[in-house]
Amino acid sequence: MLFALRVAFRYLTANRVQSGLLIGGVALSVIVFVFMTALIRGLAIFLTAQTTGQIAHVEIEPLPRIAQIANASGRFAAQPISTFQRKQIRNWQLIVGQAERLDHVVAVVPEVTGNGFLVRGTAVAPIALQGIDPSQIDAIIPLTKSIIDGSSDLSTGGLVIGAELAEDLGLRAGIPVLLRSDRGIERLIPVTGIFRVGLSNVDRRVVYLSIAVARPLLSLPNGVTSMSIKLDDPVLALSVAEQLKRQMPLKITAWQEKNRNLQTALESQGRTGSFIQAFAMIAIMISIASALLLTSVRRRGEIGIMRSFGISRAFVAWVFVFQGVIIGLVASLIGSGLGYWLCLFLSERLTGPTGEPSLPIAPSEGGYLLVITLTVLGSALSAILPARAAARLDPVEAIQQ
Amino acid sequence: MTLLQAAGITKSFRTGEFDTLVLKGVDLILEPGEMVALSGPSGSGKSTLLNILGLLMEPSGGTLSFMDETVSGLSDKQLSAIRNKHYGFVFQFHHLLPDFTAMENVAFPAAAPAGGISPEIRDRARMLLDRVDLSDRIDFAAMRLSGGQKQRVAIARALMNKPELVLADEPTGSLDRENSARVMALLREINHADKTTFLISTHDPDVAKHCDRQINVVDGQVE
Repeated sequence: MLFALRVAFRYLTANRVQSGLLIGGVALSVIVFVFMTALIRGLAIFLTAQTTGQIAHVEIEPLPRIAQIANASGRFAAQPISTFQRKQIRNWQLIVGQAERLDHVVAVVPEVTGNGFLVRGTAVAPIALQGIDPSQIDAIIPLTKSIIDGSSDLSTGGLVIGAELAEDLGLRAGIPVLLRSDRGIERLIPVTGIFRVGLSNVDRRVVYLSIAVARPLLSLPNGVTSMSIKLDDPVLALSVAEQLKRQMPLKITAWQEKNRNLQTALESQGRTGSFIQAFAMIAIMISIASALLLTSVRRRGEIGIMRSFGISRAFVAWVFVFQGVIIGLVASLIGSGLGYWLCLFLSERLTGPTGEPSLPIAPSEGGYLLVITLTVLGSALSAILPARAAARLDPVEAIQQ
Repeated sequence: MTLLQAAGITKSFRTGEFDTLVLKGVDLILEPGEMVALSGPSGSGKSTLLNILGLLMEPSGGTLSFMDETVSGLSDKQLSAIRNKHYGFVFQFHHLLPDFTAMENVAFPAAAPAGGISPEIRDRARMLLDRVDLSDRIDFAAMRLSGGQKQRVAIARALMNKPELVLADEPTGSLDRENSARVMALLREINHADKTTFLISTHDPDVAKHCDRQINVVDGQVE
């Protein structure tokens, strides 16, 4: 086996131009594979980060209250949603403790939420109120770094509002504004800060305030309306949600369940990438098989003479399989290296006016181990046909030619 | 012990719809230590017989025994093992492996089954190259050697595994008179020193003169 490897290496180095061209061709396919993998995965990471960076990864809400009304025979005749009690989570402190103990949970944010209006003069704007602990202002959305006027400090009892809402009402930091909650309670509160996160529905609708200020406005003295959880890895949201569902009788939703379109798009993109990768691999296998078949024809005489002095068919076959493996290994290492460099170059050099990358390539996500393994295996497989052809040569015919 | 015995060997080749009978029942015995010339005109079946005796070609009929063991019907793997351990081949055109050195060419028949060129294999290859007067060409690439030198490397390669029988097909056919005489003297010297049996297929009466006896093949039969 070792000597077959040495013979294979010698055959490849004997014809450097042919071997170089073959390795170059395979390396090119590997570069395509790496580039497409890095681009597709980079795009998935970018889209996922864009989405999950601005939202809770898991949300906990109360279950809908259902009043079951039975008829005379004792069967349930109707299940209307109950409107007699506020939907809220009363034992939220206990749930915070339970959730914080789970792996990958970075923050658990209890919230008092509701709807209302901001009123300034004759201008009225509908708003979504988010009452949270002032210390957790950046736990779900990195709000502080998005502040364009004032500060994100909610502890002073003020409001932090979106830039589009501020423009609609002509507000700046420090100006008081009348807040009217959906419970009909009004209060004049100063604007502490104005943010712009880049999502229109957040910048136009959401108003942050301290949970202590929100409770009387929304008539919710003890409980919370929902809880938001942030994870260190958003991909794990479904499994964390499953763990929470087993522990508590509440409505628990992972971000993927609320963004099914994104999931579908990412899966479709992944399938497209798999097709491109498969075609790159087929191109690699065809080029290696055809080149080695040519080699087996060119070296018929040598194979015949080896067989005459008793070298086994298996040895001859291994010589060709090893040639395939060497080509695959060298080409995949070169292709992976060049592919990584290309991805790095494009991600650093192709940038927009503000310096952000124009192509969302993730150079570290090029599937390098995968492409090296697949190329070596594919090369070995594609060498089997020429190896069989060489091993079956009739020594007498081969020598006579 | 008889080294090689062929009894009633026939060989036919199919060409289109017709069978051509090339060997018509050849009987032949080779004793250990002999140097035998296999002669005959072109198309007499000499090369076919040599290929069958060399276990490179299967006969259509008859039996073949090597060292008193029947080899007819053995598998390709078994025949390859016998060729590797007990046979040596020298062809008209040296058929060296051009991408390997003289030493590697000589060592090849032993190195392939052993998995590499061990110090023992290297030493024997060097000794054989010294014996064929090529000790100064050990690390030369095969393609850089002259015709006579290549044929001597091929002889050294044939002797690598200390074979009982060396089959030589027109070993001097591509050499000039001086190199032919040198090669034949070398084969004779090896035959005497090692008691290696040689069966040499040749047209050349001068070559046949170096041998102990001569077998003539005419029209597919031994005269």
